[in-house]
Amino acid sequence: MATAMANKSLSERLEPYVAIIGPMVMILAILLFMALAEPARYFRVTNLNLILLDAALYMPMAMAMTFVITQRGIDLSIGSIAALSGIIMAFLIKQYGFSVYVAVPIAIMLGATMGLINGLIITRFNVPDLIGTLAMDLVYRGFALVLAKGLVLARFPEFLTEIGRGQIPGFIPIPVIIGIATMIAGYILLTRTYFGRYTIAIGSNPEAAELTGISVNRHKVYAYVLMGACAALAGVMLTGKLNAIQATSAPYFNLHVIAAVVVGGTSLFGGRASMLGSFAGVLLLSMMINALVTLRIEFFWQSVASGVVIVSSVALYTWMQKKDRDGAGGMFAGLMTPDGQKMLRFSAALIGVLIALLAIGALFAGDPNPSG
Amino acid sequence: MPNTPLVQMRGITKRFGGVTALSNVDLDAYAGEVLAIVGDNGAGKSTLIKVLTGVYQPTEGEIFLAGEKVDFSSHADAIELGIDAVYQTLALADHLDPAANMFLGNELTRKVLGITMLDNKRMRTETERVLMERLGVRLKSLDAPTESLSGGQRQAVAIARAVYHEGLRVLVMDEPTAALGPQETARTLKLIKTLKAQGLAVILISHSLDDVFEVSDRIHVQRRGQCVGVVQASESNTQEVLGLIVGAEEAA
Repeated sequence: MATAMANKSLSERLEPYVAIIGPMVMILAILLFMALAEPARYFRVTNLNLILLDAALYMPMAMAMTFVITQRGIDLSIGSIAALSGIIMAFLIKQYGFSVYVAVPIAIMLGATMGLINGLIITRFNVPDLIGTLAMDLVYRGFALVLAKGLVLARFPEFLTEIGRGQIPGFIPIPVIIGIATMIAGYILLTRTYFGRYTIAIGSNPEAAELTGISVNRHKVYAYVLMGACAALAGVMLTGKLNAIQATSAPYFNLHVIAAVVVGGTSLFGGRASMLGSFAGVLLLSMMINALVTLRIEFFWQSVASGVVIVSSVALYTWMQKKDRDGAGGMFAGLMTPDGQKMLRFSAALIGVLIALLAIGALFAGDPNPSG
Repeated sequence: MPNTPLVQMRGITKRFGGVTALSNVDLDAYAGEVLAIVGDNGAGKSTLIKVLTGVYQPTEGEIFLAGEKVDFSSHADAIELGIDAVYQTLALADHLDPAANMFLGNELTRKVLGITMLDNKRMRTETERVLMERLGVRLKSLDAPTESLSGGQRQAVAIARAVYHEGLRVLVMDEPTAALGPQETARTLKLIKTLKAQGLAVILISHSLDDVFEVSDRIHVQRRGQCVGVVQASESNTQEVLGLIVGAEEAA
């Protein structure tokens, strides 16, 4: 037994820690690249502050999403929950004169309630979580639009802007403290409470969880409620950060948060959770987006970059899961099999047709006809 | 034969709609004894133990535990009275460590500032103790996820979960050796003998007659939903039991 241990290759021994090493390596890669490309602007204290400020917004949601995904669920409605709770809070403050100290907790409770609705739809009506939360995303976004129309609600009391962008002099911004506090709370929740333990059990083996007397549905609902509350907290932080909120705010929350959690090594197939990984994932995405901005690459590329990061990290983790790699014979061996050949011909035909169409279009093209 | 049986099932009949899975089956199990239930697929073995563990309720018939009539409305009722089962799938959450699995659904807690928290440390030491004292098993690492354990070790964790309940009197094991290699099978059979020596009534379902003859005291043979015989393992042989299973003697 002991010799077998010693004979394990380095990669085998590293494998359990890949969840942490993966994002760390990518963070290091970004740091190295930026040190070569734009060290002066990227490593300024104000810029590092900016990265943290951006990451802080996603930390509460990444924490909650870690639980949802570990239970084999997904929540695609968090952007709308954030926007809708932010809008309602803004209306309460601006139009009804509510104290900000009451309006903020109300917003978070509203988010929790929306999470509860999500959870009940999934567990009671047996709507698959993907469809259920996607549909509720439309519903919540619709309500936000109905309420706010095209309005931008702005200029909020100081307490709210402090939550969103306040700074402890000589230290880190207040939202970063909130974000890190939620991550730590999430870590304790995951490792030291019934909820965390059952979350892993449900994701790992739902039938076994049911057999041992765990109330699977109730704990699923808890996860969605936590998710809703954290999304609302993010909505509050966003409102404070911009000192403004509108119905179309927070459009990219869903995928950004899911990307951060998945990059951090939490498995989409359930059971494997990493709170530290989610934290690293959030940092990684914020650093990447900031790097794109620093390099003066157009803002719209960040959506491309997030997508590429999700696909490549999920592919990587799936490959790591696959224990039997014998007979794979390198990256391109798959192209040589009969099936691979067919796929290759099919793809070639598809691209060929596309090129042919482009050529025909160019051949018969008339004068440019600007639309504006 | 020691005095009264710990478990007596009398005249158990179970129908699912028009299908009769069990008809008028009697079963006796004694403390400190291994009773094997054998039979072909569809002979009613699983239904019989599901009735015993409260998963199914019998259409007709009665169950007595230590002479008293019992009625289980759910599996939880049966566990409370000391009847538990280790399933073929083991019902383990592979991503959790062995200690978390052993206490799954029944965690030990402590109060931190008035808040109930899981007591991971105590669960670990308890797991180590139960595995060592009750089953004589030592795991190399209690930190690794359960999926990294061997089949036999996983079995030990699942059994430990059942025996941790102090009031456990009857342990049902469904095909414990089905997915194991020879070495792991030998270890599991040793575990069964250990449990028997501790005075538990062990009911073992198996397709492997070799394993059955190695550990069991009596063999209960099911065929087409009926009990076609109970033989003493020491006075019988594979041929006879096989004959009962396929009904050869009846045909002859």
